[in-house]
Amino acid sequence: MAILKQLRWFFRQQWRQYLGGVVALILVAICNVIPARIIGNVVDAISAHRVLFGWLMIQLGIMVGAALIQYFLRFAWQKLLYGSSYVLERQLRSRLFHHFMVMDPSFYQRWRTGDLMAHATNDVEAVREVASYGILTLADSVITGGSMIIAMGVFVSWRLTLLTLLPLPLLVLLSHHLGNKIHDAYGHAQQAFGELNNKTQESISGIKVVQSLGEEQADLADFHRYVQHALHTNLRAYFWDALFSPATTLIMGLAYIIAIGVGGWAVGQGQLSVGQLVTMITYLGELVWPLFAIGTLFNTLERGRASYDRINTLLAEQPTWLPAPQNSAVPTGDLVVKIDHFAYPDGKVDVLHDVHFTVPKGAKVGLVGPTGSGKSTLLRLLVRDFDHYQGTITIAGQDIRQLPLNDYRRRVAYVPQTNFLFSTTIDRNLRFGNPAAGDRRLRGVTAAVAMDNEIAAMPDRYQTTVGQDGTNLSGGQKQRLALGRALMKDAQLLVLDDPLSAVDAETAEQIEQHLEQAGDQSIIMATSRLSTVGQLDWLIVMEDGTITEQGRPDQLLGQPGWYRDTLREQLRRQRLEDDLNETN
Amino acid sequence: MKQTKLTHRRQRAVLRRIFKAARPFWWQFTLAIVMAVVLSVVNLLLPRLIQFYIDHYLRHGPILLKWIIMFIGIYLGLTIIRALLQFVQAYSFAVGAERTLESLRDRLIRHIYFLGMKFFDNTPVGEIVSRVTNDTKTLYNFWNLILNLVVAVTGLVAAFVAMYLVSPLLAWLTLGLLAVIILLVRWYQKLSVPVYQRVRASLSNLNTRLNDALGGIEIIQQFGQQHRLATDFDRENNRYFGYRNRLINFDSFLLYPIVSLMFILAETATLGYFGWHSERTMVAAGVVYAFIAYQQNFFNPLTSVMENLATFQEGIVAGDRIFTLLDRPSTQPAQGNEPLQVTAGKIEFRHVTFGYDPDKPVLKDISFTVEPGQMVALVGHTGSGKSSIINLLMRFYEFQSGQILVDGKDIRRYSLRELRHRLGLVVQEPIIFYGTVAHNIGMFTDENNRANIKQAARLVNADHFIEQLPRQYDTLLSEGGGNLSTGQRQLIAFARVMARHPRVLILDEATASIDSHTEKMITASINEMSSQQTTIAIAHRLATIRDADQILVLRDGRIVERGNHESLMAKDGYYAKMVRLQENEN
Repeated sequence: MAILKQLRWFFRQQWRQYLGGVVALILVAICNVIPARIIGNVVDAISAHRVLFGWLMIQLGIMVGAALIQYFLRFAWQKLLYGSSYVLERQLRSRLFHHFMVMDPSFYQRWRTGDLMAHATNDVEAVREVASYGILTLADSVITGGSMIIAMGVFVSWRLTLLTLLPLPLLVLLSHHLGNKIHDAYGHAQQAFGELNNKTQESISGIKVVQSLGEEQADLADFHRYVQHALHTNLRAYFWDALFSPATTLIMGLAYIIAIGVGGWAVGQGQLSVGQLVTMITYLGELVWPLFAIGTLFNTLERGRASYDRINTLLAEQPTWLPAPQNSAVPTGDLVVKIDHFAYPDGKVDVLHDVHFTVPKGAKVGLVGPTGSGKSTLLRLLVRDFDHYQGTITIAGQDIRQLPLNDYRRRVAYVPQTNFLFSTTIDRNLRFGNPAAGDRRLRGVTAAVAMDNEIAAMPDRYQTTVGQDGTNLSGGQKQRLALGRALMKDAQLLVLDDPLSAVDAETAEQIEQHLEQAGDQSIIMATSRLSTVGQLDWLIVMEDGTITEQGRPDQLLGQPGWYRDTLREQLRRQRLEDDLNETN
Repeated sequence: MKQTKLTHRRQRAVLRRIFKAARPFWWQFTLAIVMAVVLSVVNLLLPRLIQFYIDHYLRHGPILLKWIIMFIGIYLGLTIIRALLQFVQAYSFAVGAERTLESLRDRLIRHIYFLGMKFFDNTPVGEIVSRVTNDTKTLYNFWNLILNLVVAVTGLVAAFVAMYLVSPLLAWLTLGLLAVIILLVRWYQKLSVPVYQRVRASLSNLNTRLNDALGGIEIIQQFGQQHRLATDFDRENNRYFGYRNRLINFDSFLLYPIVSLMFILAETATLGYFGWHSERTMVAAGVVYAFIAYQQNFFNPLTSVMENLATFQEGIVAGDRIFTLLDRPSTQPAQGNEPLQVTAGKIEFRHVTFGYDPDKPVLKDISFTVEPGQMVALVGHTGSGKSSIINLLMRFYEFQSGQILVDGKDIRRYSLRELRHRLGLVVQEPIIFYGTVAHNIGMFTDENNRANIKQAARLVNADHFIEQLPRQYDTLLSEGGGNLSTGQRQLIAFARVMARHPRVLILDEATASIDSHTEKMITASINEMSSQQTTIAIAHRLATIRDADQILVLRDGRIVERGNHESLMAKDGYYAKMVRLQENEN
């Protein structure tokens, strides 16, 4: 029941719909009392051989009238209750999405995409069930059940009613306990199915090894064991499931027996008419569902509460970005980085320390060094994925953490190492940060990242869908589109994390040359390809989380160090490879 | 999964095969159906009993206690029988359907297993797994629908007969109302299916957006597009809500309320009929009750069938996919299965030509000989044909021309079992199975031969790290071996092959994913063992095969150079250049 209290805000918000729904349910219950009563009346009249045509027509008229009213009322409550529950679903889903949009990277480190998806789908669904099925069963079992019992008492006999109802609490217990048992058994069956799924996956993935070892028959036998396990857990679930309706039959049978036994005796004593007995038996049949509902209600509410708690846990999390003071415009000017220490939120070890350098306005700076030296981390601080470092990063003397996050990001374009494209058209991907950009701009950027010819060769050109369900692009194509997406943005600072690693050397060089000509735009580019960085204004060499060398490329070439060694090695390797390809 | 439209003939054929697959479990199904028929009769007997009770005893007294007790006794007996029938019917059918499903799973995997490597190289793993698990599961739902249909039809027929015996006119009238319901439901389906499809499409659109947004959150935030995406999402969310509401309208207007409306109309007609006739003929009060109960039996099973009609189509589609796979012929190379044994381990290729597509050979006129106990290395760039040679030797693929000899006899004459038992293959990406270390080395057949397992581990220097594991050889390894490093995984895969004492050891870039320290250890043990068996190695790092007796240099499917390291270096050709290139890397 706690979940109903937790959802009070929603019921208050939708009180008209819920009030209407409950009123409709009450009216349906009242109408429901009528047919059984009329059946009893007519039976009595038939028994007494005093059926008058006019009277019969009135009775039947009332019955048809009640049926029609019931029909429209049923329509009303279904629409009101189920319709409202989807309002709740819509709100929760939207709230989660808006929340996901503002959460910071540390949130996404703690929660996996799959889990977040599950919360936004399954958990939302379970909470919605509370607002529809839960409320329905709660109201219906109380209203219908109550009205039936009252009708039985008033129209027939209170004593007989109470006697007849004796076995019925068993139904509540049955649907609650057996319901739980069935739920658990199906849970086990689901688990066995998952194991079978994993086994199949494993066997098929490792088929080469299994076959090369000649273990086919043994592995098939093992598979068979999983199949047997799935079989047995499923059969157990079906066993409990198959018990459900026979158990109901028995309990209801007991109630019927009391009704016809005690009722029959009462008829004999002249305390009851035959028609009343028929009415009684008809009402009994109507009680099955409300009593069942009470049993399943607990299960629905329990599951809904667990889901709602999980959703609230997510919604309670706050991003760790520092709030910025109002109205501080993003200035243009030199970028000065003075990072003393930085460690990831969950880590204790410094990933960066003593990183100090300056990027004059419009300068093109290269960031090189071995893998794991902290290049990507540094870039992520520049784009404010994390704010909790010691030291400062300033633009024209202004600390970037003092600037409103969105204003700052509007002036910075970033290409991360993992090139992510959205499952939509090339056009929309390129215009992602700048939906209003003109076609000419789009063409210019496509040419700049050397994708113009390849896009022209695709059947749907800019309207080609990429991503999960779309055309498969090569890694190099994805990278160039991701770079193009960044170039579409009017940014004063371009932060590129090895944006062309999967692009062939010749094309990469061509693209980089274009980048270097971009007037007053500052560029910081991490790269693993040293052959092309010679054109840049400034080079920073990082090793083990700190800067070991920096200077103009020609300066660095003149002094011993990682840059000179690695560049020479790469060049020599290049020559040998060319040589190898020329053989024969 | 794309839902293809099947022709009616195809659908019928699939249906026939689905029933055929259930044949081994015919008695469970028959029992369930017999129970369903008996049950429908008992369901009608109960109201008939009450009718008799009312008309013969209550109305025409005197009412004696012993009669009441007798009736209660009979009613109780029938109720217990009814409960038993209900249970046996439901459970027996579930057992039959579940056993059919699991036997299909066994059959499928058995068939898939021997389809040949070509099938596995060309079909995504996920697709195969889905055939074996999900499609078969859909078939189970299909069987459930069949049971519902059987129950509904027997219930309808029995109730109709019972009503007909009381009053043919009313029976036909009730049937007429049933026809109205069926027409309405068909109308409902026609109207609601397009809306339902829109609901589903919109929901999957929402989930795609959500998934995309979560995957690309960094980009979204960096480009400051949170607001735009949230607005887009809300728009789609609203659209979904709209479609949902329309579906609710259809559901609440046409589906359940209509059935209860029809039921009350039938009741009204019954009352009117009997009430009207009671003036002229004698109508017993119990008859009215019984008739209304028959009508209840008539309408009740209908709804569950109506709800699940969509399952039928899904079942046929899933069945079609399953049987298409079962009909797929195997591409596994044929073997002569002569009782030959691999003893010395001599391998010879004579003018072998092979292409995955016969028109595009990837191996052209390959000839070489590996003497027993020799070590031969295959080197060359990616795509030069090294792995294809191993695919042929392991009989994963059939070659087009030439001859492969093992111990001087054609490879096709051996049994696959003998060949694979004597030829041990270690691949680049080590596969770890769910189970203990001992299981991963000994596999199923040798799992309990602890001495052999330990000896194999020692042979490849894997014993040191295994001894360090929490439960040594009994340590449970997770799927994919997540709790081990790549090097350790490869050592286990290595030990797995060595535990089987192969005559020929085949290494397909077996050390490529291992750190250089482990690699040195393995190389040392290979060199130590190489005199005991023939070794064929593909090596990425040329330094590891320097001691090979013979090095075959492949390029574009041909052997361009052959000889030992010294002679090839002296020749200063392709191999020498490759060696220099690699030396530079380190």
